[in-house]
Amino acid sequence: MKCIISIELGTNAVRVFAFDLNGQVIGSLKGYCPTFHAEPDYSEQDPEQIFITMLYVLKNLLNEKIHPKKYKVASICFSSSMHSVLAIDKSGNPLGNAITWADNRANKETQELKASSSAKSIYTATGTPLHPMSPLLKIAWIKNRDKDRFRLTSKFLSIKSYIIQQLTGEYLIDYSIASATGLLNIHKIHWEPAALRYAGISEKMLPELTPVFASAGKLKKAFQNSLGLSDDTKIIVGSSDGCMAILGDGVKGDGKATITIEDSGAVRVMGDKVLQDEKRRFFNYLLTENCYVSGGPTNNGGVIFEWFTQQFGEFKNPFDIEQSMQELISVASKVPVGSDGLLFIPYLLGERAPIWNANARGAYFGLNIKHEKIHFVRATIEGIIYEIYSIGKILEEHRNIKSLSVNGSFGTIPFCTQMIADMFNKPVRLRQNFHSVSFGSFLLSAIEMGIYKSLDEAVQKVELPDQYKPQKQNHSVYENYFRIFERLSTGLVDEFESIAALQHKDAALKKIQAQENNNMYYQ
Amino acid sequence: MRLFPQILELGIKKNISIQFNSFPVSATNGIRLYYVMEGKFEWSIHSYQYVLFPGDVALILPGHSFGSPEGVLEIGSFTWIHINVQQLEGGEIILGKWSSLSESESQAIGKLLSLNNSPALFNFGDAGKILKCIQTELFSQEIGYHTRVNHQVDELFIQVTRQLTRQNNPGRDFPKTFMNLEQALRQNLSHQWTVEEMAALVGLGTTLFNERVKNYSGFSPINYLINIRITEAIKLLKRPDISLTDIALDTGFYSSQHFSTTFKKLTGYTPSEFRKNHLRNN
Repeated sequence: MKCIISIELGTNAVRVFAFDLNGQVIGSLKGYCPTFHAEPDYSEQDPEQIFITMLYVLKNLLNEKIHPKKYKVASICFSSSMHSVLAIDKSGNPLGNAITWADNRANKETQELKASSSAKSIYTATGTPLHPMSPLLKIAWIKNRDKDRFRLTSKFLSIKSYIIQQLTGEYLIDYSIASATGLLNIHKIHWEPAALRYAGISEKMLPELTPVFASAGKLKKAFQNSLGLSDDTKIIVGSSDGCMAILGDGVKGDGKATITIEDSGAVRVMGDKVLQDEKRRFFNYLLTENCYVSGGPTNNGGVIFEWFTQQFGEFKNPFDIEQSMQELISVASKVPVGSDGLLFIPYLLGERAPIWNANARGAYFGLNIKHEKIHFVRATIEGIIYEIYSIGKILEEHRNIKSLSVNGSFGTIPFCTQMIADMFNKPVRLRQNFHSVSFGSFLLSAIEMGIYKSLDEAVQKVELPDQYKPQKQNHSVYENYFRIFERLSTGLVDEFESIAALQHKDAALKKIQAQENNNMYYQ
Repeated sequence: MRLFPQILELGIKKNISIQFNSFPVSATNGIRLYYVMEGKFEWSIHSYQYVLFPGDVALILPGHSFGSPEGVLEIGSFTWIHINVQQLEGGEIILGKWSSLSESESQAIGKLLSLNNSPALFNFGDAGKILKCIQTELFSQEIGYHTRVNHQVDELFIQVTRQLTRQNNPGRDFPKTFMNLEQALRQNLSHQWTVEEMAALVGLGTTLFNERVKNYSGFSPINYLINIRITEAIKLLKRPDISLTDIALDTGFYSSQHFSTTFKKLTGYTPSEFRKNHLRNN
């Protein structure tokens, strides 16, 4: 019996799934991989630790679920988070850690490029919003501020390129990950000269561009031996987590969109045309030729409810956040829709789409003397979903959306899924306990193996059995409050800027004081 | 106190007027513990300033400075104990023969004390009770007081360790707690960590600790540690200037043989093969 393995390289964990050829899950395992913050704006991962974790998890899954049942691994398909940058030297060894999507060190470069005359043409050509997340701007930062590293760099890789190179020896980057670097012309599928010039690099300093279905070459002999895999095991380059999530839900074409809410979130559509937005609020990433995944990302997804739970949850069992979250959600379900007029703006981490404002901050609004603690719980969840709704609204300026699919650990909590259905006033489909990113990888492998004739055929075969129907009366309550939410999120630009400036100033002062305190006593 | 070689000093002070030019900052070789009963004291511990209120404890490690930064003793009362301990080069603290703690528990407590960087323990009334008990026993000298005092000093070490790990890990934010643990492991990778030590470091019993770590990370605590060891070893292998034996010991393997077997099992390469492949192009 043949099986297909998917490996997702995420910013929290490496997840490995095994599927049979019908798409049924044989088994899955995950391994945690930390993100380091050496400075407040920094967000890095250790490429060697990701590699070792990946080997460890893969090996355990093979030994526990695959080898004992005599499955033969036909292919291993990769996905990873977008926007990572890893510099390597001429021997192929990493120069420092990989910089992840959440890293904001390139803020100054971003402001400069945004204000320049080439901003519009670079965004239009590459599809990647001008934001510190973009590898284009991270590489520019390294060029400007970490000159030694830049000088020693022979190539700038993505995390996935590095991991695949370790396994097979080939330096490759797939269309999807490449299209999220800010360096790829997504219309003609070649590296964009203007972007390369801005980053200060040549094509030779990037991995070779390949379609997502491409084979990355053979596993090195040592890994064949240690993992117990044969030399005809196909290593498929694969795509990004974002593209895989929408593919895994089978959402392609008119009328459909996917909502993903993990720690962060996104609303996405997939089709054969890019979204042309005058205000440059969307990303347009490439799955394959003539197939674009477009949408808007939010920083403030499930991570905000986790923050709330950590502050206000009961924690009857130490460190049991799941139970504390469940208790809060059951409390929230007893509060009327609209939280009796308490509104929450969830921008604790600044915000990307639709307002693209790093200075945005959170707020509770509309508080009156009758509000109780329980209102805050519901308002917090509603605020997170209003933000998702606000991304959906701007997408609807370009696409007609009739139905939604939802995935991600926070979005698939039934209470949240129903709220999404009500707020959007659209039916929502999902499959419980279903990992869309991994299933997307399965579909990609299955297409490559010829089990499906085409992407379109694969997408049509995806069934999401559970359905949430919108409740009209709830929708109209949400709609009224949403108008105020929208005005608050767009109308407080000056206030956001002032408070963020004060917060930065205070944080800087504290840091200096701590240092002085330290110095004084060591003298 | 020849009966109690571990107790260097035991005292209680009630200060009814502000005293200038007293209580200066100084360092000693023992562990010092000050428990505030009344008033408010601004003390400097290991170069950082803390404000302590009744029920709070200042815990001063061997060699760390402690005292009033301005040389002023404020109004109030407090009680203290100085305890004689040994300190190894790496900073680990070892309790003496007087302790009836098992060797592994004593080691774990010593390790955790040496790793602690928050010397002020707040709302820690239990420490006051233990000090009071030691004083009463020493004063009345009833039958069995020798054993009881020794037990109470052990009890003090146990409670202090539990309090500081709980205070550093309030039981809400496991990701943050896990990051603290991960950092401690990386900084002391050559140490032969036990699960008991790791669990105590985050303020959990081993059963719950194993479950939480497995659930959160997908790894058992020891396997997570091995993963970090191999990760760091890979980085060292890419540098030509360190011997395989040194790499093995620096990253916490028992021997180069143990390193080699573990490394090959996971990566398919022996450390020397791996090194050859990655230095080739230099």
